Parts: sequence; structure tokens; C-alpha cells
Amino acid sequence: MTAYLEVQGVNKRFGGLQALQDCSFTVGQGRITCLVGPNGAGKTTIFNAITGALRPDSGHVAFRGAALSGLSTQAIVRAGIARSFQNLRLYAELTVLDNVASAIPGQFGEEPLGALFRPFRTAAGQRRTRAAAMDTLAHVGLADRAGTHVRNLSYGEQKLLCIARVLATGAKLLLLDEPTSGLSGAALEAVLGLLRRLRDEGRTQLIVEHNTRVVMAVADEVLFLHQGHLMAQGTPAAITTDPALAEIYFGGVL
Amino acid sequence: MDYFYSYATLAAIYVVLGLSTNLLVGIVGIFSVSQAAIFGVGAYVTGYCLVNEVVGFVPAMLLSALACLLVNVVVTLPALRVSGDYFVVTSFGIQLLATAVFTNWTGATGGASGLPGVPPASLLGTELVEAWQNLALALGLMALCCLLFHLLLRSPYGRLLRAVREDELAVAASGKGVLRAKVGAAALAGVFGGVGGSLYAVFLSFVDPSSFDLNGSVLLLTMVVVGGARTLLGSVIGPFLLLALPQVLTMVEIPTTAAAAARQGLYGALLIAFMVFRPQGLAGEKL
Repeated sequence: MTAYLEVQGVNKRFGGLQALQDCSFTVGQGRITCLVGPNGAGKTTIFNAITGALRPDSGHVAFRGAALSGLSTQAIVRAGIARSFQNLRLYAELTVLDNVASAIPGQFGEEPLGALFRPFRTAAGQRRTRAAAMDTLAHVGLADRAGTHVRNLSYGEQKLLCIARVLATGAKLLLLDEPTSGLSGAALEAVLGLLRRLRDEGRTQLIVEHNTRVVMAVADEVLFLHQGHLMAQGTPAAITTDPALAEIYFGGVL
Repeated sequence: MDYFYSYATLAAIYVVLGLSTNLLVGIVGIFSVSQAAIFGVGAYVTGYCLVNEVVGFVPAMLLSALACLLVNVVVTLPALRVSGDYFVVTSFGIQLLATAVFTNWTGATGGASGLPGVPPASLLGTELVEAWQNLALALGLMALCCLLFHLLLRSPYGRLLRAVREDELAVAASGKGVLRAKVGAAALAGVFGGVGGSLYAVFLSFVDPSSFDLNGSVLLLTMVVVGGARTLLGSVIGPFLLLALPQVLTMVEIPTTAAAAARQGLYGALLIAFMVFRPQGLAGEKL
């Protein structure tokens, strides 16, 4: 297994809290890797460290063999890593289509001079962007909601839109922060189906997930994080049946 | 008829200024209460250049636009780092500071008594002395600025600015530059402010600090809120409507000494009423 993403000895301290402690793991290309662990284990913190939102105190992150240390969030997205947020962070007053279109890279007229002085080229680019955004929406099953404002979407649709926005960046590695939390029934199945489909298309995914059933359903590999450190790595079956990990996760009751 | 010309000219000028305010406050969500200060810089630069015969009208207007671009980027800098409510306080301070400079930098601004005798605008060697000529100039520039605003709103840059207003962190996570987007918007709002200020100086032929104080900023905000934030139409309706109000007030029997206070009171009441009953203004989106 090649190390598509490699996190090596990352440390991060917030005041008195050691959020990440010598955190090391690898993510294999084209696989769904689930990141599990109790609250406060450092799952979101490691996302922040990988995407450049947070500078680790020490350690390094490499993507496809190239070091990401010191790169801006922008540069890391260009390199092919994009994330979603646990609390969604959608643009509530924008349409579904604009939420996705805004994430598409390399648009002409995304700065004032081009937009004002090359209006025809901007408009032509805008048409291409919209078409690409529609394709992405169709991919996640939201094509019929393109003109809707986000605030009028169901929660399940909002979760799908979060993934669509990450896809629109063109990222090869998707970091998804709890993409299924709060979902059940058909909405949950829709997201799980999408995650599997994306894997089949060759997108690598690192997913923070709490629901053991979801982990069993989609994960190829599970990383168990505890107190900012990788405790265990293995198949879903191995991790979810390990009594020592259950002890940490559920406080001994399983 | 004279009254109509001067009303329409002034309204056209305020539309340009309203676009500047709407861009920052409505579109990007940088809640500036110091846009009259930027407007003032534009008016003083043109006033100074023309009174002292430094350059002609057209280069003076370009200088005003450039000066306002730079000043607006600098005063908006705090908003590039801190967002939301904190910036209102900063912006309030900037407005007070600007009024102090306008009032006390006597050598350049003429102090509290202002710069009298600003010559009229001239284009291609012709002085625009007739009222209709001034109106045509103001309407022409207003139309140009409206066109630019329209192009901006429907461009990917316009969408990026709206996204920045909604959630900066998400914009950054999508690989877009939040800082660059905000600087661009501040620069553009500055250019609009400079053009409006420059027109104001030649139209009134007199520049003094009272036009560019906090009341001026509140008036601009009121125009945007009443007309409708975030839309082009709102920025046009607001000034034409609010500048007609004093005329309406003259039909009510109040002593002239109380008229100014009554107008301020009315603006305040309007702001509150719109925020409570129609936050999206007459033709806008909810702020």
C-alpha cells in the first residue's frame, strides 16, 4: 500500500491541552479511511493540521510524496486536498448551484479587473462554471435543487451539498468531517451510497465518523485516535471488536 | 425646474456613493460607518486640485478615485483581519478621525469654513455651467457605475464576495483567497466613493466638513437600507427617495430652524422602521 497521505509525528498543543501527540498514520490511495475515537481525540485538529488551517508545533504531513508543511490552505486545496466541516458552513443565502460554483477553481473573472473589463469572457467562463457545477450536483443527486436557497434544503440535502462543494474543488483526497451525523433512513443511505460511488471513481477519502454501523458499512481501513495519538489501525471488523478500544470509546460498556 | 435639476444631480451623485456603501456593507458584509469620510476625501482632492489649479477636472476626478481607492483599502484593513461587530467600532473611529482631519488640516481643506469657489466641471475644454449639463454628467457617470456594479454582481467575483460574507472559513477551505477578495472590494468601493466625491465638489462648488461627518455616513447607510441592500435597483431607489424627503417636509408646517433636526429624526425613524418591518428594503435582500 502506497502512502498517499502521510502524517508523521505531528504535535499540537493548545495551552495546557496536548491536542495532537506524536500523531502518525498513512492513508492509502483510492480507499475510504475512517478516523474514529472519543470526543477530544484530535480528529478535527488533525484535519486542520492537514489542510493548513493550523500549524503543527512539530511533525510533518506529505501528500503524494510532497511535503505540505508551511503551505497555505489555498495551496493545499490546489495540491488536491479539500475538506468539509462538521457544522456544514454552507453559504445559507446563496443558491445550491452558487454554493458549488464558488468552489470551482480557476474561474475567469473571479477578481475585479477581469470581471469588470472582460465581461464577455467572464460570462462565457460563468456558463462553463455553471455547467460544471450542475454536473457535480447531478453527481450527488441534487440537480433538481440547483436554484434553491440553502436555507430551504433538508438537512440530508445540506450534507450532500457539503460533499458536492468539496468535490467541486477538484480535490483527489476528500477530508469529510462527520458527513453522516444526524442522518438516518434514506438520507443516510444516500450519503453512504455517494461515499462508495466516489471511492469506486478513485477518490480517496478520510472520514471522521462516530457511527460504528457507518464505519462497518463503508470503511476499508479504520484509524483509532485517542488523546491525539494513533492507538490502532486496522480493518473495521478488527477495530470495532477490540475490547480495549471499546473500553476507551464507550467507557467499558459494550 | 432648477430645483428638479439640482435634486436629480445630487441624487445621481448619491447613487454612486450608495453603490460604494452597498458593495462594502451589503455584498461583502464589511459594516462600514465611515463611507462619508471616503466620499469626503474624493471631494477634497478634486476641490483642492481645481481651486489651486493643479490639474483639470478629468485628471482631478481620476486623482480622487485613486486617493479614495488607497484610503479605503487602508481604512478597511482592520476588517480584513477582524470581522463583524468589531469593525463597526473601528469604522466609527475612522469616521471621527476623518472629520477631525477635514476640520483641522486648514492648509489643504480650508478647515471648518471649507473650500469655496470650486470651479465647475469641464469636459473637452467646455465648462459645464448649465444645470442640465451637470445633470447629464452625473447621470452619465451614475449609469457607468451602475453598469460596473451590475457586471460585478453577476460575475464569479460577485459570487465570491457574497460567499465571503456568508462564511470566510468555508471560502478559504475552497481554496479561494479571502484577503484578496476583500481588498479588491474595498478598492472598488473607494473608486466609486472618489468619483461621487469629485462630482459633489464641482456640483456644489463648495466643500466643507459638515457633508462628510457621521451624519453623512448614516445617510448613506439609510439610503442603502431603505432602497434595498445587495441589489443595484436598491442603490438607485434609495437616494432618489430619501433626497426627495426634505422637499416633502417643506409641505409640512415646521419652522426652518427645526427642519434639519426633523430630517435627522425622520431618517432615524425610517431606519428603525425598515429594520423592523422590511429589513430587505424596498428592492433588496435582507441585510
